[in-house]
Amino acid sequence: MSDQPLRIPALRLIPRRSGARRAGKRPVGLALGLVLLAGFGLLALAPVVLDLPAPDEMDLLARLSGPTAAHPLGTDHLGRDVLARLVGAIPVSLGAALAAMAAILAISLPWGVIAALAGGRTDAVMMRLADIVMAFPMLVLALAIIGFMGASLEASILGVAAAWWPSNARLVRALVLSASHRDFVRAAYLAGASRLRVVLRHILPQVLPPLAVIISLETASVLLALSSLSFLGIGAQPPTPEWGAMLNEARPFFAQAPHMLVVPGLAVTLAVLAFNLVGEGLQALLDKREPYRW
Amino acid sequence: MVAALRVRDLTIAGPGDPPLLDRLRFSIAQGERIGLVGRSGSGKSLTAAALTGLLRPPLAVTAGTIQIDGTGIHDASPRAWRTLRGRAVFQIFQSPGTALTPARRIRAQLAEAARIAGTDPRRAVAHALDTVSLDPRVADCFPYQLSGGMKQRVLIAMALILRPRILIADEPTTGLDVLTERDILAALRAMADETGAAVLFISHDLRAVAAVASRTLVMEHGRLVDDAPIADLARSRAPAARQLAEAAHALQAPC
Amino acid sequence: MLRFILTRLATAIPTLLGMSLVAFLIVALAPGDPVLMELRAMGIVPEPEDVAALRSEFGLDDPLLHRYVDWLWRALQFEFGTSVATGRNVMTEIGLHLPATLALAVSALFGAIAISLTLGSLAVVVGRYTGAGLRGLTILLVSVPSFWLALLLIYAFVLKLGWARLVGDGSPSDLVLPAVTLSLAAGAALGRMVYERIRAEMSEDHIRLAIAKGLSPGRILIGHIAPRIIGPLATAWANAFGGLLGGAVIVESIFGWPGLGQLILQAIAQRDFPVIQAYLVLMGLIFFATSLLADLVVILSDPQLRRRLSDE
Repeated sequence: MSDQPLRIPALRLIPRRSGARRAGKRPVGLALGLVLLAGFGLLALAPVVLDLPAPDEMDLLARLSGPTAAHPLGTDHLGRDVLARLVGAIPVSLGAALAAMAAILAISLPWGVIAALAGGRTDAVMMRLADIVMAFPMLVLALAIIGFMGASLEASILGVAAAWWPSNARLVRALVLSASHRDFVRAAYLAGASRLRVVLRHILPQVLPPLAVIISLETASVLLALSSLSFLGIGAQPPTPEWGAMLNEARPFFAQAPHMLVVPGLAVTLAVLAFNLVGEGLQALLDKREPYRW
Repeated sequence: MVAALRVRDLTIAGPGDPPLLDRLRFSIAQGERIGLVGRSGSGKSLTAAALTGLLRPPLAVTAGTIQIDGTGIHDASPRAWRTLRGRAVFQIFQSPGTALTPARRIRAQLAEAARIAGTDPRRAVAHALDTVSLDPRVADCFPYQLSGGMKQRVLIAMALILRPRILIADEPTTGLDVLTERDILAALRAMADETGAAVLFISHDLRAVAAVASRTLVMEHGRLVDDAPIADLARSRAPAARQLAEAAHALQAPC
Repeated sequence: MLRFILTRLATAIPTLLGMSLVAFLIVALAPGDPVLMELRAMGIVPEPEDVAALRSEFGLDDPLLHRYVDWLWRALQFEFGTSVATGRNVMTEIGLHLPATLALAVSALFGAIAISLTLGSLAVVVGRYTGAGLRGLTILLVSVPSFWLALLLIYAFVLKLGWARLVGDGSPSDLVLPAVTLSLAAGAALGRMVYERIRAEMSEDHIRLAIAKGLSPGRILIGHIAPRIIGPLATAWANAFGGLLGGAVIVESIFGWPGLGQLILQAIAQRDFPVIQAYLVLMGLIFFATSLLADLVVILSDPQLRRRLSDE
């Protein structure tokens, strides 16, 4: 639809040593987010180090039991160890989100950069195509794609990627446009630098930091969407462990076994939180303008 | 008589940085008009910001005092500043183009000032526009419909309505043509004559200052290097002051 | 003014056509015999021996453009065929459930707007530590998945407190929990945007003047900041509405709210292509209309653009 003016934060790749240390502006959120992500990474390796039962291993005698020594987070309705499934879901949930994000970037980055640099007709056409896809509510489009492709984790990844890429492409284009209109880029062109050189040496470094913010925040959004789709039963299919799917499976039993309700939801929340914190933290670091005190 | 403004050893710096303003010391008497001149970057706008409590964090007053009518304000709380601003001290800024709120009509923005000053908005607005020689129809315009000079005069009208004890004009004519400059300086004089406000006229252009003030402060690199009548600047001990006087004189050579 | 609207609609036509093309071609995504899938999209699930005959009967031998135009013509009359699963007219079925979804999405939007304006403005005026706390709360709310929040709210309010129930008959009191669930996340996200917008405006020169006048923060917020941010906010609200239309599917299925959510999920499970296609088209149309409305607000909130509008 309409182009929103994007406020591009100033770039500082290497912080000035002599610059004033900003009193009280410690990147707490960013640190917390990175710690959480590292935590998930480490947890994903847990099966290698710890002696966890397989996520699929059923122990029907112990179904729906609360936390015990053998099963620190309890068991689900099929007697499977919740902790094992939780940990087993990390590569699935996070992997799917990262895969979707990679797919999104694979389309949106070239799309946005080319549209911004080419300008004119090409730009208009490319943006119109993006607008057409963006005209559908994102989750609705993903649902429709899954509906036609048949429910599966792959379909949900593709559906989300197809629905999320246009907004990303628009943002990339706005960033590149804003970067290329700066005077020092014009000066580089005037000095005779080739297109490619200008893009690599002048535009890309300006674009990367805000892009990192966008990627982080969007991974959070994509992760939420994918786990929601798995929760609805149209993403990851049983018996694949996935946090949303685990919560869905727990639904009929949650009066009897509320513990099954807590952990998968918490896992999704913490993972999404991690990406959001990283994104917000980076953005806070980049934003130098302080408002007037009123 | 208590000075309208008394600044003693004012020092401003960011945390861990060398001071940007270094032990400034000057006074302005009631109703007096003085200039503040210096090269770009000498700290003039910073001084103005400190006097209105508009220093952008992390910059802060690290030493010295500011007194308006005898009351110390350098450590005033935000709430105290709200009472001081507009009534005790008001500032009009450079680039009038962005100073007025784009989405509201001139009348509304001037009426706001009237309400702060406690006067009847309609009469105050009409009188103020008249004093600065603006057509009364300007009141119904939006800022984008006015030229830079007109907008600057609207700001002076605003100052007129507020009747502050001290008016700080930060580079009010910079970037405007000489004819517009003449109108603005006339409006400024009219405002000062009517309200009896003390005026601190900040500029890098000595000729503009001379049209309003008789005495001027000279700043260089964050320090006050001279405080003298404009006519005496050519003989100042400070090289910066002499340079400014020479430049102003050279520019005034007959065409 | 009229000319502006007409021009806008004219530029919208290519986008609408493009959208219709997407909805038409999406059938191609279905794995399996394309002809079978196309027949399925028309509501027909034939025996294998009948396929060839049906193919020519329903014009599937015709060129793509011809089929597209036929489909488009029917779609413009809101004729989407019959449901594969129920055999009933698709538009009728959707028409039965659409109001409930719209009611949910709209009330969630109002809730989100209220929450965001409160959170955003509060975050700006409070001190450093409360502000940081509010921003932390916002990030948390944005990170909690709606399906989990819904289950937690059900646990608290339905199972434990008995204040609400999970019957799907669409009475207004049943709207509260689903709407609250959706509002919280959307409200937090919008709140973050409100906060950022206000902060960005606070660095502007005209705010500096307003402060210099001695105006109180409240006056500055309402008189000088609000008129400037209403445009971007309207756009954000329209986008949020799109998200709510999609998010409604999740919440409806959990709370048993009788909207389109359950319909579309069943349609996906049963590969009921006509229903899915109609759903896509209608949701797209509604979202498109709200975006157009937001664009209008953006223009109306800028005096310069407004003047140009009335001059046309």
